[in-house]
Amino acid sequence: MQLSRGISWRAAQKNWLLIGALILLIVFPFIVGALTNTSPTARRGLAVYWQGVMIELLIYGILTMSYNLLFGFTGVISFGHALFFGLAGYLLGGFQRAPELAESGLLIGIVVALSVCAVLGLLIGTATLRLKGVYFAIFTLAVAEMAYIFLSRYEPTGSEDGFTLGALPEWFDPTRSRLTFYYIVTAIFVLTFILIRRLMESPTGAVLLAIRENENRARTVGFNTLTYKLFAIVLAGILAGVAGILFTLLNKKVGPEMLGTAYTVNPLLMTIIGGAGTLTGPVIGAIGLRFLELQLRNVQIAVGDTVLEIGRTLPIILGALFILVVLVFPYGIVGTFVRWRQNRKARDAERLAKQAEALRSVS
Amino acid sequence: MSDMVLEVRGIHTYIGQFHILEGVTFSVPRGSITVLLGRNGAGKTTTLKSIMGMTPPREGRVIFDGQDLVGKPPFQIAKLGIGYVPEHRAIFRELTVAENLQIAERRKGDLAARQDFIFELFPDLKRLYRLAGGKLSGGQQQMLAIARALVPENRLLLIDEPSEGLAPVIIEALMHAIQRLSESATVLLVEQNFRMASRLADRYVIIDDGISVQSGMMADLVNDEATIQRYLGAA
Repeated sequence: MQLSRGISWRAAQKNWLLIGALILLIVFPFIVGALTNTSPTARRGLAVYWQGVMIELLIYGILTMSYNLLFGFTGVISFGHALFFGLAGYLLGGFQRAPELAESGLLIGIVVALSVCAVLGLLIGTATLRLKGVYFAIFTLAVAEMAYIFLSRYEPTGSEDGFTLGALPEWFDPTRSRLTFYYIVTAIFVLTFILIRRLMESPTGAVLLAIRENENRARTVGFNTLTYKLFAIVLAGILAGVAGILFTLLNKKVGPEMLGTAYTVNPLLMTIIGGAGTLTGPVIGAIGLRFLELQLRNVQIAVGDTVLEIGRTLPIILGALFILVVLVFPYGIVGTFVRWRQNRKARDAERLAKQAEALRSVS
Repeated sequence: MSDMVLEVRGIHTYIGQFHILEGVTFSVPRGSITVLLGRNGAGKTTTLKSIMGMTPPREGRVIFDGQDLVGKPPFQIAKLGIGYVPEHRAIFRELTVAENLQIAERRKGDLAARQDFIFELFPDLKRLYRLAGGKLSGGQQQMLAIARALVPENRLLLIDEPSEGLAPVIIEALMHAIQRLSESATVLLVEQNFRMASRLADRYVIIDDGISVQSGMMADLVNDEATIQRYLGAA
């Protein structure tokens, strides 16, 4: 029976960590509410603040998962991922605040933003995926930087300042109904995770991994690798667009910084630190690093008379952390763990084989 | 259909500015095991790569069952029914044994249809089915690489140096497997190990400095000391 298979005890056991994480995400607002003695449905207060933090972390998670699909699973390095993130934000904002579209502007904005991300991915991919490795990366960087420079000088979109969104419907407004928005973002985050997981467990996912390892070899097995790479870049572009839309809605503002290198480099670092090419690594990297950044931003340490502002030296700290992780865990946190487990499995298999051999020779 | 599965006619292949193949011509009869012989660097591997479209020839033709392959990309050539087993145990190390075989399916059900045959040839693979390819021993990886080419219905198998760097016991097992699989497909082999080649193949082609210099029945070559000395060194 399909249903009983879908929620079977064995499947639940295998995924207990993920199911636990999901439950934690669902009850998170209420736990924080209880701990801080504030209402999770109020307009202000610590509970609401922490919901906001979590929303941002989850959006980073979506962005990083999309980057990992390209870099971690397919082996395509892009330095222009922020292009999708930022452009989706601008398009959404542009349509949303257009007075003549009124309420429907939001929906039109979402549809247009995601479609443009898909088409852009297709165009960039078609034009450049034949380029190998670093040349593709440089091309994407150039395109993203062009868009960044253009938008930071383009007056109709507020040049360097960007612009703020118009009024959002109350139920969808991250300030007035933050809890609802929290659950919307959580749902999209979970769906993105499931989508990527299902993709990577499918035959298409195996081909993407094969391309990452050796594209020529995959071609001689009979795969038009270009098509698969295009698919990956389009899907990653759409998902980065989703993250950009949510980020814009959360901040109710867009600016050219969303197209800046920070939104490419951060997901790249988060993917590497968490574990490129693993499912949970990029999520852990994104949530962990961003959380650390938010927490350390306002910390001050007094050493004698001098006051050290951690916030100012944060890039140095994160840079050191990055070097440390790369040295100690070359496959990222999750990646190193997965490898350790695989090695153990291989040793077990070998030992069992040897035991079987010994038994056979005895009998 | 002609009784030749593959006809290579006067191909010239360049890698960068180097003229590697300067006229290679031979044909592979249906159902045979044909071996490409020659010294290191003679152009054997490049010949296979030229057939597969990885280093496309600039001149000449490669006819596979009546179709000219020159100018077609590798993935299309593979889909026509050619299985390629590159040198150096070319598996996907990050994929499991199961995934390595699954991605070779051209039609759904390919693997299910040939699974029994594959496991009969290579029983190890059944035991290691869920293990990452990179965790296999050298011999097992070579078996997996060959098994992968057996998953779809291929009429021609190109196998590059299957015995390279493997222990004699494993070479024996591989030879046996290649003999068995040649019952269902034609095999074109590159093999440095002349003992193995001479026991396995029924036809040979000698390539020397990028030119096919001689071809014929293997049975005749084994007695032709002079040719062996001249083109292959000590046998």
